[in-house]
Amino acid sequence: MDDFGVWWLTPLILALMVGLICPTTGALLITQRRILLANLMAHSVLPGLVLALAFELDPIIGGLLSGLLGALLAEQLNHRFKGREEGAMNTVLAGFTAFGVLLVPLLKARIDLEALLFGDMLAGNASDVIRTLIAAAALLLLLLSRYQDLVFLGVDPEGAIAARRPVMQIRFITMMITALVVISAITAVGVVLVIALLCAPVLVNLDRSESLRVLMLRSAGTGVLLSSGGLMLAILLDLPPGPLIGVLCLVLLPFWRR
Amino acid sequence: MIPIFMTRRGSVSALVSVPRQDQGLHQFGVGIASAIPSLSVRGVSYDYDHCSAIKSVDLDLHPGTLTALVGPNGAGKSTLLHLIQGRLRANQGTIESNGSIALMPQRASIDWSFPITVTQMVDLGRLRTRNRGQKLSAQQLLNQVGLNGLGARRLDRLSGGQQQRVLLARALMQQTSILLLDEPCSAIDPPTREHLLTVMRQQAELGQTLLVSSHDWGSALDSYDRVVVLDGTVLACGTPDEVRQKLTDMTCMMGSHCCG
Repeated sequence: MDDFGVWWLTPLILALMVGLICPTTGALLITQRRILLANLMAHSVLPGLVLALAFELDPIIGGLLSGLLGALLAEQLNHRFKGREEGAMNTVLAGFTAFGVLLVPLLKARIDLEALLFGDMLAGNASDVIRTLIAAAALLLLLLSRYQDLVFLGVDPEGAIAARRPVMQIRFITMMITALVVISAITAVGVVLVIALLCAPVLVNLDRSESLRVLMLRSAGTGVLLSSGGLMLAILLDLPPGPLIGVLCLVLLPFWRR
Repeated sequence: MIPIFMTRRGSVSALVSVPRQDQGLHQFGVGIASAIPSLSVRGVSYDYDHCSAIKSVDLDLHPGTLTALVGPNGAGKSTLLHLIQGRLRANQGTIESNGSIALMPQRASIDWSFPITVTQMVDLGRLRTRNRGQKLSAQQLLNQVGLNGLGARRLDRLSGGQQQRVLLARALMQQTSILLLDEPCSAIDPPTREHLLTVMRQQAELGQTLLVSSHDWGSALDSYDRVVVLDGTVLACGTPDEVRQKLTDMTCMMGSHCCG
């Protein structure tokens, strides 16, 4: 808890990092209309996390595998329920969450399920910060190497396929990075609330950004304000930071003017 | 010009003429109204889920010509364009071309709310080209399609007609010798349609081969050199007057058959 000397410093760094990477990833997902898949992945990491924690493995490995499994299952079911994909994806989302919850008593694991679902930022440690740094590095690498393709894929997906851009590869990498970002944000906001930080900062900046790059920068700025503001308010009011950040994201939307 | 010849069944083959800007009027490296077709479609059929979309389509397009591909909804116009472009593979038949191909897509395939400026959108055309000749600038192309001064504007702040012009500029950025346009004139006002047709005509005069799908059966057909009527298969093909005559004859025949 006291990795950096001052008790609130680690949670604050964690809040800043999560505030930075969640909306940046969210900008990619919303502009590619894949936010439902991202939410599905956020929930799908739960069984893997529980298993990893129960067997004292790195949560990144368990979460990644479990998240990818959820996404692949959803992809399969989407073919079977063509035209009704949303229903299939939400069922997978709920099923994986339920499975994760059931694993705790089944494995008799000593895991704080509430912290996994809704976050426990004040318990954040150096490992959590390192996880956010890994996710940030992967995201930055994708943006630096494939920015133009990400724009092309967002504005004209059929055209990107026709132009033989590496669409499948980019989608797979984006999925992996989404899982990484979600896993790294779990201590801060949990698997249920992370979607608010992926969406809200992007939605309020979408209409006034003239490029994907600007949208990402503005969303990251808004995300940092929300997460650090939420943490400070939580300390001030003695409330849990994760749910407070979720509520701040919600409050932001109706009061936002173009 | 780099001639490469390859033929594959059900897909586009090419005798590539890499377009060069320094070739004057004939910038696409082919003579206007050349006897050798730049695109040749032979007996092409395509099925969607065991349902025939197009059947035994034959078509020749010559360099420097502006051709309309007309037909009702579901006639297979977009399917044929995607087959020619190479995105779809025909179940039967061959498609041969002597140049690179660009497709201006239908409006519905674009996410117009994506945060992107007009210039950035036109520049995406560069990702689709392998042309190593002189590069065109987005500004040049925006001037050509009549959108000068709008390069910094967000795409969704433009009118529908202006957005169509941006798509045309993006397709022109690819500097291909064959340009396919999927309903470029749908849901736009007559002046914009005229402007688009003028730009297409200019491109044809430069030696480019253009195939334009359209719902328009009226006087707009006179703007084209040739017209192909498609309804699952080619019903008529020729100059606008010839096609009108053929369609009138067919209607008369069907009328007399029904009455008789």
